[in-house]
Amino acid sequence: MNEALENLLQSPRLWRGQAQGNAWQGLPTGYPRLDEHLPGGGWPRRSLTEILLTHYGSGELKLLMPALAMLSRPRPAQDTADGAEAGWLAWVAPPFQPYPPALLQWGIDLARVLIVRPRAQRDALWAAEQALTSGNCAAVLLWSDAQDLTASRRLQLAAEQGGSWAIAFRPVQARGEPSAAALRLELKTGARGTDIHILKNRGGRPAAVHGVIHDYASLPGN
Amino acid sequence: MTRRDANPTPAVRHPVRQRPVQQTLSLAPANDALPRRLPPSRAVHADALWLCLYLPALPLEAARRPADAGEANIPYAVFEEQQGVRQILMATPAAEAAGVHAGLPVNAALALVPGLLLAERDGARERRQLETLAAWAERYTSFVVSEPPATLLLEIAASLRLFNGLRALRRQIVTALAARGHRAQPAIAPTPLAATWLARAGSRRCLVDAARLNSALAGLPLDCLDWPARLHSTLRGMGVACVGDLLRLPRAGFARRFGADRLLALDRALGRAPDPRRHFRAPPRFCENCDLDAEQSDSELLLGACEHLLTRLEHFLRTRQLAAQRLHFRFFHRHEPATPLTLGCLQAGQNSARWLELLRLRLEALALPAPVIAIRLCAGDEEGNGHCQPFVADTAGLALAGGERASAPATRLVERLAARIGEAAVHGVDTVAEHRPEYAWQARHAPEELPQCRAATAPLPGGQAALPHGTLGRAQRLLLRRPLWMLERPEALACRGQRPCYRGVLTFAAGPERIETGWWDADGIARDYYVVRNPDGCYLWIFKNRGGDRGWYLHGMFG
Repeated sequence: MNEALENLLQSPRLWRGQAQGNAWQGLPTGYPRLDEHLPGGGWPRRSLTEILLTHYGSGELKLLMPALAMLSRPRPAQDTADGAEAGWLAWVAPPFQPYPPALLQWGIDLARVLIVRPRAQRDALWAAEQALTSGNCAAVLLWSDAQDLTASRRLQLAAEQGGSWAIAFRPVQARGEPSAAALRLELKTGARGTDIHILKNRGGRPAAVHGVIHDYASLPGN
Repeated sequence: MTRRDANPTPAVRHPVRQRPVQQTLSLAPANDALPRRLPPSRAVHADALWLCLYLPALPLEAARRPADAGEANIPYAVFEEQQGVRQILMATPAAEAAGVHAGLPVNAALALVPGLLLAERDGARERRQLETLAAWAERYTSFVVSEPPATLLLEIAASLRLFNGLRALRRQIVTALAARGHRAQPAIAPTPLAATWLARAGSRRCLVDAARLNSALAGLPLDCLDWPARLHSTLRGMGVACVGDLLRLPRAGFARRFGADRLLALDRALGRAPDPRRHFRAPPRFCENCDLDAEQSDSELLLGACEHLLTRLEHFLRTRQLAAQRLHFRFFHRHEPATPLTLGCLQAGQNSARWLELLRLRLEALALPAPVIAIRLCAGDEEGNGHCQPFVADTAGLALAGGERASAPATRLVERLAARIGEAAVHGVDTVAEHRPEYAWQARHAPEELPQCRAATAPLPGGQAALPHGTLGRAQRLLLRRPLWMLERPEALACRGQRPCYRGVLTFAAGPERIETGWWDADGIARDYYVVRNPDGCYLWIFKNRGGDRGWYLHGMFG
C-alpha cells in the first residue's frame, strides 16, 4: 500500500471504527475488563486522558497505578519496540501528598517520581506542558481547575510531541465542556465499587464498565 | 623544530624555567664594545620562543564599551589630565582624520569635532582588560606574562606543533584578538625583551634564530625601548639613533653613565643574560560587571547584557576546566538597593546557553523596583569565598546501548521547572524506615539525589516487600495497605454518636492497626488506624487517638 496512506492509517487521530481500531498498541491498564473497551487494548499513550471525578480518592489513582508501575520500571528489550522505556512520572499540582510507601506497594519506582507543586494555576499548566514536551516523562499527571478546550488541546499536542502520556483530573462538572482529550472517563463510586463511564473514546465507543475497582486494596488480577 | 615540540599539549606547566639569577656586571667582560666578542650565553634557554603582543590602542579599547566596539567609524578619543591640562591621549582613525591627535587639548579637539565622544583614561580598567586577555591567552600556552601597561608575552615554543607552526599560531592569535576588539602588534623572538622591542617598533618579524638577534635589534629606533624620555634625549645628543649605535658603546662606560640596569636590559634582549619572568596567574573566581549605557528596564535588553556576561563566564570556565553550579546576579539601580538573583542548576556546567535559558525564565518573573544601571555576575559563592568546581564532562550521552538512559535532558527539565516555580516546589520522593506514617517518607530536594536510578529502597512498615503481590497472603496485604493520598496534617472528623463521619457515616472495612511509637521525641503517637468506607464509596484511612483528645482523624485516602 501507499506509504503515505500507511502512515495515515497508523495515526491515532484517524477515526476508523472499532473493527480496525487496534492499529496501535495501548498500554494495558491492569484491569482486563476495562482493556476490552479501549482501542489498542489499553491506555492511549502519546495523548491526553481526562478523568472526571466528584471527589478525590474515588479510585482514580488505583485505576492508574498498574500502568504507572509498568512505565516506571525499565522493561525487557522486546517490549521497548514502541519506544516505551522507563521514564519519569511527573505529578503536577497534586491536591494531597502522594504517599511514597503506598506508591512503592503498587510497584512504582520512587526514583522516577517527580512532584511539582506550582503556586499558580497558570504555572501548573505550564509545568505540565514542559514536562510533556521534554520527552523525559513517561506520564504526566495534572490536577488543575483551570483547564479548558485550549488547555486540553495544548496538552494533547504536547503529549504527542514528547511521546508521553498526559492524564488530567477534572471535576465532574466539566463533563459538558468540549475537550481535545483522546479518552475521557468519568469515575462514579457506588456500593459495588467504582464504575467507569467512558465518555469519549477515540477509536472506540463510549461505554460503561461497572465495578472495576471494588475494594480499597484490590490489586490487578484479583 | 625544537626538542620540546614533542610535547603536544600546551596546558602542561613547564618545570623550572629560568630561575632568577642575580646577574652582576662583573660577569661580563669590561672595556669592550657590547656585542661581538662575547660568547653566546648559556644562561638563556636556547629553544625558548617568545611571542609578544603589544596592544598600542589599549586605552582606547578599554574605554570603549563592548556595545559599540564594532563601530570603528565613530569619532572617539581618550584624554588624560597632565599638569592640569586635559589632553587627548589617543583617538580613533575617524577622529584622527578630522584632525584630532595625541597631545591636543580637549577643548581644541571638541572645537574640531563637535560630536567627538570623550572618555577619561581608566588605568584600572586597562589593567583588568589586560588581565582578561592574559587569561584568555592561556589557551595557547601555559606560560603567559602580563606586562602592564599594554604588553602580553607568550612563550610559544611548546605550542607550535599543536597549533600547526609559528605563522599559523600567530595568525590565529592576532585574528582572535581582533575579533575581541583589540589591535595587536605581534613579534616573535628568542628572548622576551627582544620580542617586546620588536613588537613596539611595529616590526612583524618572526625571529627564531638567537644568533640573528644582534642584527635584528640593531636597526630598531630608540623609542621602542620604553626608556625615560630624558635618557632618550641624552642618547640622541650623543649621536645614538638606534639600538645598533647603542650596542657599539663600551660596556663599562655605558654602565657608569646610564646605570647597570640599562646594560642588563641590553644583555637580556640579546640573550646574554637570563630574563626570568613571572607566570601570569589567572584569578580563580569569576566576578564581572557590565555597565549599561542607559538605565534599562526592558528584560530583553537586560538579557542581552547578561548574555554578554555569561559568554565571558563560559570562556572563563572553559579555559580553566571549571564548572559552576550557582550564579549570582546583582542588578544595580540608581537609588534603590541592588536586586539579587541566584541561578542554580543540578549539574555544574559551563554552557552559557543553558544559563541563559534559565535566566530568561527567572527574569520574566522578577519584579525590578527600578531601572537597572549595571549588572554584576559572580560564579560560586556570593561572598566570593566559594570557587567553581572542576568540570566533569557529561558522559551520560555516551552510555552504552541498553544502559541507563541519558540523564542530562531530564535534569534540564527539573532545572527549567525549578527556575520558574521555585526550587522547593520541584522534588522527588523516597521512603524512610519509620513506623509513623508522617515520617515514613521524605522529599528529596538535594539536586544530586534527584535523578536517575537508586540501588536500594527502604523497608516498608511491617517489613513488606515492594511487590510481587503473589507471594504475600491477602490478609497481610490488606492489613498493611497504605493509602495513596496522604493529608498534610490529619483532619479532625465529626462524630455522630460514637461513629466518625466524613461526607456521611463511615463503615469500618479493616483495622485496627495500632501504631504506637516515637515516645523518644516530641512527636510520639499512639493511634489505632482503620480502613473505612464512606457512603460515596471512597475508602479512607482514619485513626483514633489513644491518648490526648481521643478524637477521630482522617489521615489518608486510598485514592
